[in-house]
Amino acid sequence: MSYTEEQALIWLCGCTPFDYRERMQLLRTAPSPKALFEDFEKFSAVLIKKGESGVYNKQRGMREADLARLLADMERTNRFAITVLDSDYPESLKAIPEPPFVLFGEGNRSLLSKRKFCIVGSRITPAWAEKVGKQISAELAEHFVIVTGLAEGGDSAAVSGAIESGNLICVLPTGLDTCYPASHASLKARVAKSGLVLSEYPMREGAKKYSFHARNRILAGLSEGVFVLSAGAKSGTLITANAALDYGRDVFALPHNVGVAQGAGCNALIQKGAYLVTCTEDILTNYGIQSTRRETVTLPPEEEKMLCVLRESGEAHVAELADKAGMKIYEAAAVLSALELKNLAVKSGGNKYAAV
Amino acid sequence: MIAKVICYALNGLEGVPVEVETDVNKGVPAYEMVGLPDTAVKESKERVRSALKNSGMLFPMNKITVNFAPADIKKEGASFDLAIAVSLLKASEQLIGADVKDTVFLGELALNGDLRPVSGMLPILISAKAHGFTRFIIPAGNAKEARFLGGAEIYPAHTLAEVVRHLVGVNPISPLETCEYTVHPNPKGSADLKFVKGQPVARRAIEIAVAGGHNVLLMGPPGTGKTMIARCLPTVMPDLNFEEALEITKIHSVAGVLGEEGIVSVRPFRTPHHTATTVSMCGGGNRVVHPGEISLAHGGVLFLDELPEYKRSTLEALRQPLEDGVITVSRAGGTYTFPARFMLCASMNPCPCGNYGSADRTCSCTPAEIRSYRKKVSGPLLDRIDLQVEVDNVSYDELTSTEMQESSASVKERVNMARRIQHNRFEGYGMNTNAEMGERELNEFCRLSAEGDKILRSAFERMGLSARARSRIVKVARTIADLDNSEEILPKHVFEAVSYRIYDKIG
Repeated sequence: MSYTEEQALIWLCGCTPFDYRERMQLLRTAPSPKALFEDFEKFSAVLIKKGESGVYNKQRGMREADLARLLADMERTNRFAITVLDSDYPESLKAIPEPPFVLFGEGNRSLLSKRKFCIVGSRITPAWAEKVGKQISAELAEHFVIVTGLAEGGDSAAVSGAIESGNLICVLPTGLDTCYPASHASLKARVAKSGLVLSEYPMREGAKKYSFHARNRILAGLSEGVFVLSAGAKSGTLITANAALDYGRDVFALPHNVGVAQGAGCNALIQKGAYLVTCTEDILTNYGIQSTRRETVTLPPEEEKMLCVLRESGEAHVAELADKAGMKIYEAAAVLSALELKNLAVKSGGNKYAAV
Repeated sequence: MIAKVICYALNGLEGVPVEVETDVNKGVPAYEMVGLPDTAVKESKERVRSALKNSGMLFPMNKITVNFAPADIKKEGASFDLAIAVSLLKASEQLIGADVKDTVFLGELALNGDLRPVSGMLPILISAKAHGFTRFIIPAGNAKEARFLGGAEIYPAHTLAEVVRHLVGVNPISPLETCEYTVHPNPKGSADLKFVKGQPVARRAIEIAVAGGHNVLLMGPPGTGKTMIARCLPTVMPDLNFEEALEITKIHSVAGVLGEEGIVSVRPFRTPHHTATTVSMCGGGNRVVHPGEISLAHGGVLFLDELPEYKRSTLEALRQPLEDGVITVSRAGGTYTFPARFMLCASMNPCPCGNYGSADRTCSCTPAEIRSYRKKVSGPLLDRIDLQVEVDNVSYDELTSTEMQESSASVKERVNMARRIQHNRFEGYGMNTNAEMGERELNEFCRLSAEGDKILRSAFERMGLSARARSRIVKVARTIADLDNSEEILPKHVFEAVSYRIYDKIG
C-alpha cells in the first residue's frame, strides 16, 4: 500500500502523541515524511536515545491501520486536513517560524484563500467594547474573513458579528471534536456550518495550558492584522498581539478608560505603537479599502438630544444623563433603552450608559 | 346520660364542626376516646382530668366514653379540651340547668384549669358563623382576634371554673364587644424611602412594582442597600382594607404567628432565610398542614435575599403560585388550598464577587463562575420577575448627605392613584392589579399602537424573550402608563418597561 507525503504528515500529526518539537526533530532526521512513516522504527531512535517517554512504537501495519482509521473518520465527519505541502495552505501562516504541519478543519475550506483579519478580546470584556467589537466585526466581514477564537467575551463578540456573513474562521486550542468552553459547543457547530473551524490538534485532544499559547500564534499567523478589543495587563490576548508584531503583522487596539483593568493591555499596545481604532474605517483605510458608509437614521428629537448628551459625557450614570438632557430619570431610561434597541447606546452595568 | 357539645376542627383555612359526645356509664372506671382523635387529642384525657380536679369539679369514677363525630376526619391539636371537659361535666350532671346546645366551645386546658389560646381562632369563628352558630366560648387569649367578628356572642373565659359559673348562670361573662377595624397607625420599624440615599432607578422600579403588583429583582454589589430598599416596599403599598386584613389574619392565625394586635393591619413582609426548605416555603407538614411563607406573605411582600443561594427546588416551587396566586398542598391526609398572592422581591449580586458589570471595580470571577452562579436562578423563574433593576454603588458623599429623599408617603399617594385607575378598570373582573391580568384582559386593556408593537418586536428578537416575558412587559407598560395617568400605552412606556429587563440582556 502506498501513501502520499501529505498523508504521512497527517499520520504524524493526527495519530502520534508527540509534541511539536518532537515532530520537528523526526522530520529533520528523516529525508521525507513518507520515509518517516515507512521506516519509523529507524528514525524514532533519535527520540528513544534521549529517553523520551510515551514513544509511539507501533508496527508498520498498525501505523497503516491508524492512518486509515483517521482518514475514514474524517471522511465520515466531513472534516479535512490541510498540510504545509498542500497548495492552499495559507502563505501567511507558512511564513511564521513554527507553522503547524497540519491543520484539521471543518467547514468552508475556501475561506483559507481569502484575506484574513483577526479580532480578539479577553474573556472579561466590558459590555460597550463587546458591542463595538461586534459592530466592527460585522463591517469588516464584508472585506475580510474574521479570524478569532471561541471563548467568551471578546472572541464571542467577534464571532457574533461575523457569523451571519459566513466569513469567519475560529481556531481552537483543542481537537475539533472537543470544545472549550464546553458551553460553546453549539456555537462551534454553527461556525462549522457557516464558516470554518480549525485546529492543529488531533481529535479528542483536550485543552492544555500551553495549547492556548500555541493557538494564538496561528491566529496571528493567519491574519494580515490583529485587532485587540480588550486585554488586561497580563491577558493572554496580548500573546496574539505580540506574535503578530513578531510576524510583522499590523496590530490595532481599542482605547479604554484609564484605570479600567480590562483595558490596560489595550492602552499599553497603543502606547507601543499599535493603531488606535474607534471605527471600522480606521482599520479599512490602513489596507486602502473604501468603506461603504452606513446609512444615517433619523431619530425622534428627544433621542437625538440624548445621543448628543451621551456622546459628550462618555460613559455616565442615567441620573447624570437625565440631568444633562433635562429629563426625568425614568424618561431618560426609556429614551436610553430606545437608543439601545437601535444599536446606538449600550448599558454597561451599574445603570451606566455609553454611546456606541 | 349523654351530653353533646359542639367544637371545631381546622381543615386548611376552613373550620369543620365536630360534635363531642360523652357518655358516663356504670361499670369499671375507664376513659375511652373514639372517633379518630390524634395523639394530642388523646392526651387531653390527662389535662381534662387535672383541670376538673383543680377547678373544684368532680372527675366521675365511671366508665366514660368520648366520641368525636363525624368520625371520618382526623381531629388534631388541643383545641378540643374545653369541649371535652364541658361535655363530661354535662354528662356527669354537674351542669344542671346549663344550656350547652348551639354554643361552640374552643380552647386548650392547662392542668390548673386555665384556658390557653389556640391557633386558627379567626378562621374557625368565620366558618362557624357561616354555619349558623352565633354563641362561642373561647379562651381570653384569643379575644383580640375574635373581636373583629361582628354579629356573634363571644364569651372570653380565663379558666374552666369561669366557664362553669357562666354556664350555670352564677356569674355570667360579659360578651366581647365588636371592634371596628382601623389601619395600624404607625407601622413597626423605621423603614422609609426618605432614608434611602440615591438609587433613583431602583426607587422608580419599586414604585412601578407596587403600583401594578409586579415582582421585582434588585441586582447589585454587596452592601449597596438592596435589603433596605426592599424593606420600604410595605411602606408604599396601599393600606389593607378589612376584607384583605381578615383574609391575611386567617392565614396568620392558622399558622399561629398572629401578633399582639389580633388582626394583621400592616402588609406582611416575610423574609425567609435562604436555608428555607420547600415545605416551609409552600406549606405542608406531617399531619397538620400549615401555610408556608408564601401564604404568610399573602397580600404583602415575600423578600428573598440573595436569590441564588436558595435551593433550586425551593425556588422552582414558587413558579406555579406566582402565576395562580394560590398554592394547593396535597398530602395523603387531604388536599389544602392556601391563598398566596404575594409580591416577590428578590435580591442578588451580579456574580459571586459582586463586582461584575461595575464600571469602577474589577470583577475577579471567571466567566464559568458567573455562569454557574446565574444558572442557579432558572429562566422560567426570572421570566416571572417583571422588573429587574441594578442597584447603584453609593458614593461616600451621597451616604453622608443629610438631604432627605422623597418619602414613602408621597410615593404611596401616586401608587394609590394608579391603583384607583386599576380598580375602576377591573371592576367586575375579579382582580385588582395589572399583574393579575390574563390574556383576555391583556387584549382588552393593553392594545399597543403599531409603533409600540414594533418596539416590542425588536426587543423580543434582540433579547430572545419568551411569550410570557412579552406579556409581562406589556403589563408593566400598562402600569407605567397608569402612573403617567395616560389612557393609552405610549411608546415611551414600552421603552421604559423594556429597560427593566436587564437580566435578559446580560444573562
